[in-house]
Amino acid sequence: MKIRIDQQEIDVNPGETILEAARQNGINIPTLCYHEAFGGQGMCRMCMVEVKTAHSTNLVASCTYPINEVIEVHTSTPVIEKARRTIIALLYRTAPQSEFMKKLYQEYKCVENQLEINENERCILCRLCVRACEEIGSSAISAILRGTEKRISTPFDEASTVCIGCAACANICPTGAIELSQTPAGRTIWNRTFAVVTCQRCGQAFATREQLDYIAQHTGIKGSESKLCDDCRKKNLAAQIEQYAQ
Amino acid sequence: MDKILVVQPAKCTGCRTCELICSFTHTGEFNPEISRISVLTYEKVGFSVPMVCQQCGVAACMEVCPVGAIAKNNVTGAMEVQDSKCIGCKMCTIACPFGAIHYHAVNNIVSKCDLCGGDPACVKLCPSGAISYVEANAGSISKRKAFAAKFKNVFEEVS
Repeated sequence: MKIRIDQQEIDVNPGETILEAARQNGINIPTLCYHEAFGGQGMCRMCMVEVKTAHSTNLVASCTYPINEVIEVHTSTPVIEKARRTIIALLYRTAPQSEFMKKLYQEYKCVENQLEINENERCILCRLCVRACEEIGSSAISAILRGTEKRISTPFDEASTVCIGCAACANICPTGAIELSQTPAGRTIWNRTFAVVTCQRCGQAFATREQLDYIAQHTGIKGSESKLCDDCRKKNLAAQIEQYAQ
Repeated sequence: MDKILVVQPAKCTGCRTCELICSFTHTGEFNPEISRISVLTYEKVGFSVPMVCQQCGVAACMEVCPVGAIAKNNVTGAMEVQDSKCIGCKMCTIACPFGAIHYHAVNNIVSKCDLCGGDPACVKLCPSGAISYVEANAGSISKRKAFAAKFKNVFEEVS
């Protein structure tokens, strides 16, 4: 099927989303909650585009809009630019402590709004962390409470029993909202402190016990449950080769 | 049949050209820290060995990745990391028995040898021919096996 995105004619497979089709053809649409590992979530609305069908013109979230008919898409019009500025301004008000959102707010030259500021917040509720945790298979976190109190946490803010301390959530978070601290005493995330496994050779903390269990369970490869960090595993093997060569 | 990287430590001079060209090919900068191949040198005995991913038949990194960001390239046989799909759980770096995949805080990605898409730069630039890229025929595989047999105790530990 052929559609037009910003005057460019492109071939798409029915069912493909506008965002995927655009990115495959080098057309950039800004996103916040989209990640290639999960696909579109339609949470942040940053990826809004204008879609013209035979009957109407609409603003849609391109990350979740499947292409099923011949359409004409515009990724940058005054209407979209205004919508994007509004979205960013709202998200910045939600998470004023985030440097990332502040930069975006300035970059898009957003206009002031009168909404109440959520002083200490850095989270924009994009749920990338929730999706990452789901993919790991833990589902330790989700959006809790409703309305203006909505936030991401473990059930009842208690230390999670299913979290493995991998910190994928903190890594994927675009706004740096997830607290993670690593000390010799342990790795603390989501109100729980994990005992860390230290490398027997260099003493560096490289994993949590729960991560090693996860790996043993998912690979079935015995040796992957090593007591060495990745660097030292390599050094150990090289040292054995050196021994053999002598 | 897939081609494989064969490393001959006896020929390695420890010059680290492979590290530099690897980093340059993948990132455009000469930074051994983010190279996917690393040379370990034992100066007292004058021995160097380039350590690089084995492209395992059953790859722990690929098995453990929760989002399928590591996939086998069917042309080269290399396990390749798709950066845009990686969620940063770093499980692959812990799972690899050979320590051949690393997380780099500089560019926030995990990286491993991808055989440069079938034309490894380290092989081309190695001045002493210590790294070669050869057809995995019965001859080269039996050589690998003979070498591995001598390391039985090592491999028992890791696999």
